[in-house]
Amino acid sequence: MYDVVIVGSGASGGAVAYTLCKAGFKVALLEKGRLMKREEFSKDEQAYCRRDLVTPNLFDEYHTIEEKVEGEWVATPSYESGWSFWNGNIVGGSSNFMSGMLHRMHPDDFRLKSKYGEIKGANVVDWPIGYGEMEPYYALAEELVGISGHFEPHPFAPWRSTPDFRQAPTKENAVVKLLDKSCKTLGITPLVTSRAVLSASKAGRDACYYSNFCGSYGCSSGAKGSSREALIVPALATGNLTLLSNTHVKKLHADNTESVSYAIVVDTITGEEKQIKAKLFVLAAQAHETARLLLNSANEYHPHGLANSSGELGKNLLFSGGGSGQGELYKEGLKEIEFEELMTTGLFVNRSVLDWYFIDDPKEGRFKGGSVEFMFEHQNIISRAAKDNQEEGKLVWGSALGERIVKRFREQKSIRFEIFNDWLPTDDCFVALDPVHKDKYGMPVGKLRLNGHPQDIKVGEYIAKHCEKILQEMGAQNIYASISAVPAQNLVAGGCRFGDDPKTSVLNKECRAHDVKNLYVADASFMPTGGSVPYTWTIYANALRVADAIVKQLKNI
Amino acid sequence: MLRKDFIKKTGIMKRRNFLILGSALGLFSYLKLKKSDDFEVAFKNVKPTIEAVQGHMFPQNSKLPLSLQTSLFMYETMSHPSFDKDIRVFVLEGASELEKRHDNHFTSLAAQEKEIALRAYEETNYGSAWLSQIMTLTLEAHFSDPIYGVNKNEKYWDEVGAYGGLPRPKQRYIGTIDV
Repeated sequence: MYDVVIVGSGASGGAVAYTLCKAGFKVALLEKGRLMKREEFSKDEQAYCRRDLVTPNLFDEYHTIEEKVEGEWVATPSYESGWSFWNGNIVGGSSNFMSGMLHRMHPDDFRLKSKYGEIKGANVVDWPIGYGEMEPYYALAEELVGISGHFEPHPFAPWRSTPDFRQAPTKENAVVKLLDKSCKTLGITPLVTSRAVLSASKAGRDACYYSNFCGSYGCSSGAKGSSREALIVPALATGNLTLLSNTHVKKLHADNTESVSYAIVVDTITGEEKQIKAKLFVLAAQAHETARLLLNSANEYHPHGLANSSGELGKNLLFSGGGSGQGELYKEGLKEIEFEELMTTGLFVNRSVLDWYFIDDPKEGRFKGGSVEFMFEHQNIISRAAKDNQEEGKLVWGSALGERIVKRFREQKSIRFEIFNDWLPTDDCFVALDPVHKDKYGMPVGKLRLNGHPQDIKVGEYIAKHCEKILQEMGAQNIYASISAVPAQNLVAGGCRFGDDPKTSVLNKECRAHDVKNLYVADASFMPTGGSVPYTWTIYANALRVADAIVKQLKNI
Repeated sequence: MLRKDFIKKTGIMKRRNFLILGSALGLFSYLKLKKSDDFEVAFKNVKPTIEAVQGHMFPQNSKLPLSLQTSLFMYETMSHPSFDKDIRVFVLEGASELEKRHDNHFTSLAAQEKEIALRAYEETNYGSAWLSQIMTLTLEAHFSDPIYGVNKNEKYWDEVGAYGGLPRPKQRYIGTIDV
C-alpha cells in the first residue's frame, strides 16, 4: 500500500508528489498518458499541433458540450465538433505545453464578493483563505518552477515577500521598445511578464535557447517549468515516487461514508484492470475531469458522487473570460526599431498590462477588470500559411495564393494581445455525467454545460478597446479583436469549490473533501472564483499549500 | 498561458452535417471503410482528382508550386490513426462529388474550365468546405518538416523565409517509410 495515490501528473499532481516525496512518503503518481522525456520533444508542427498525439483520440475519449442554441440546451459530442477539452495527456500534463506567462492573483481576487458585492446571475463568494496564506506558496512555486521576471511596483500588482525574481527576465525582441513607448504615450504602464521559463540554467535544467516555438511544444532544454521537469524529476530522485504512466483511473472506491479504499485503474496499453490502495488519495486530473471522476465514483455510501453531500460537485465550473486581438507591423511606417530587429526570431515580447485589473471609469462605472499579455502571433508555419486565405468570402488560389502567403511571412509580423478576466461562476456552467455517452473504458463522459456571464463580455470588450489603441499607437495595421463567451478550453477551474461550510462547498480550506477524510483535490477545481490571470501559478502554489496540509495529516496517521 | 480558443468558423463544427449531406448524395460508401486496404484503394481512385485540384490551387509557375510528393504525404498522414476519420471520409467523398458534377471528366478539363468548375463547387457550402480542406492539407504537406518528404531541402520554408525550430524531429509520427 502506498502512503498516497495522486491521480494526474500535471502542475498540481507534480507539486503534491514533490512535497510528499521530499518529506519521505511513498507516493504513486498515476497518469493516463505516456512518459515523454525531454529528449523526445521536437518542434514538429505536424505532429504536435496538427494532430492529437498528446491527447486522446476524440472518438475514444471525449466530452459532450452543451450550449444554448435558440433558447434550448443542445449537447454535442466533441468527436463531432472537434472541440477538444483535453490539454496534454502525458506525464507532466498540459504544463509541458504552456507558454508560461504566469501571474499571481491579486489579494482582492480572494474577496471578490466583499469588494464588489453581489453580481446578478453570478454565484460569487469570497475564498475561505486570503492572499497572505497563499503568498508563501507563490514564492515557493516561483523558486521551484523557476519563474523568471522583474518586479516593478504597480498599484494593481500583488505584494511579494521577496524583493524580486531570482531568475532575470527572458530575452526580449526589440519590439518592446516600440510597445513600451506606445504604452507610455497613452499613459499606460507596461510591465515585464513573469514567465515559467528559465533565463539561466538551474538544477539540471538548461536555460531557454529561444527556439521560437515555445507554447504548444515540449521544451528540449528543460527551461520551461513544467511539472515534469521542475517537480516530478526531483521527486523521482528521492526514490519515494512510483510513476505509473499509461494508467487511467476509472473510479475511486469507498467502503464506507468516510474514506476511500482504493482506485480502480486500467492499463491503457494492455487493458488490464486492477486496484491500487493507499492511505490517502489526491485528485489532480484537471478540473472538469476531477469532478467527473468523483461523480463516476458514486456508490451506496455516496449515492450522488464521492464528496458530494453538498450537491455542489461539478457546479460553478470556471474558464477565463476575455479574448484576444492582433495587428500587423510592416516595414513601411515602422517606428523606433528596424524591420530586421522586429523579424528576429525566438525572443519574447515579455510585456503585460495590469492597468485595467480594477476599473473605475467615469462612464462605465466601477468593476473588476483583467490582465493583458502581449506576444507575437504563434510562429507555427503551417497555421500561419493557412490563415485567412480568403477574399470576399472566396478562397484565394493560383499564383495569387503563393504571393499572398509569401507576403504574409516576409513583409509583416503580427503582434497579439490576450485578455484574461474573471469567468463569473453561474448556474449554467458546470460539469455533470452525460446520461448516454460513455468513453472506451465504459465510463460516462463529462457533459460540460458552457455559458458565460454577460459581465465577462463587457469587461473583455472594455479592455480590448484600450489594447487596440496600443496597437494603433504602435502603427499596426488590420487590427482586430475577438471577445466572446466561448471559453478557452485550456483555462479551466472550479467544480469542487472550497469553503468553510460543508453544505455549500465540496472541499474545506485545505482542499480536503468535507465528506471523506482521506481525499484531497489539488488541481484548480477548488477555486470559487478564478481571478483575472492565467491559473497556472495559482495551481502550483495552492498544490504546494495542500501538500503541506497532507504531510501534517500523514504524520498523524 | 496561451489562450487555446476554439475557432468555430472553420466549419469543423459541422463536419458531421457534411457527412450526412454526403450520404444524401449517395456517397456514403466511404463511411464503410474498415481496413487500411480499403482506404488505399479509395484514395487511389480519387487521387487524380485531388491532384488536379491541388495543381490548380498551387500552379507550377507560382511561388508555391504543388510538390509531386504531396499525394504520398496525404496518403500517409490520412492513413494514420491520429487523422480524424470523419475528415478522411469527407476528403474522399468531396472528390467523388466533384467528379460526379462533371461526369468524371474534371481532371481533363482545361485550366479555365477548372476555374469555373471549382468556383461553382465553392458556391455550395459542401464544396467550399472541401476545397478549404484540400488547401489546408496541401499546406501541411508543403510546410511540414522536410522529414515528411515534401519540403525537400526546406524549399518551401526558404520561399517564405521561415524555418522550423530546433530540435527538428528525428522520426515521423506516422512511422518510417522510404521517401
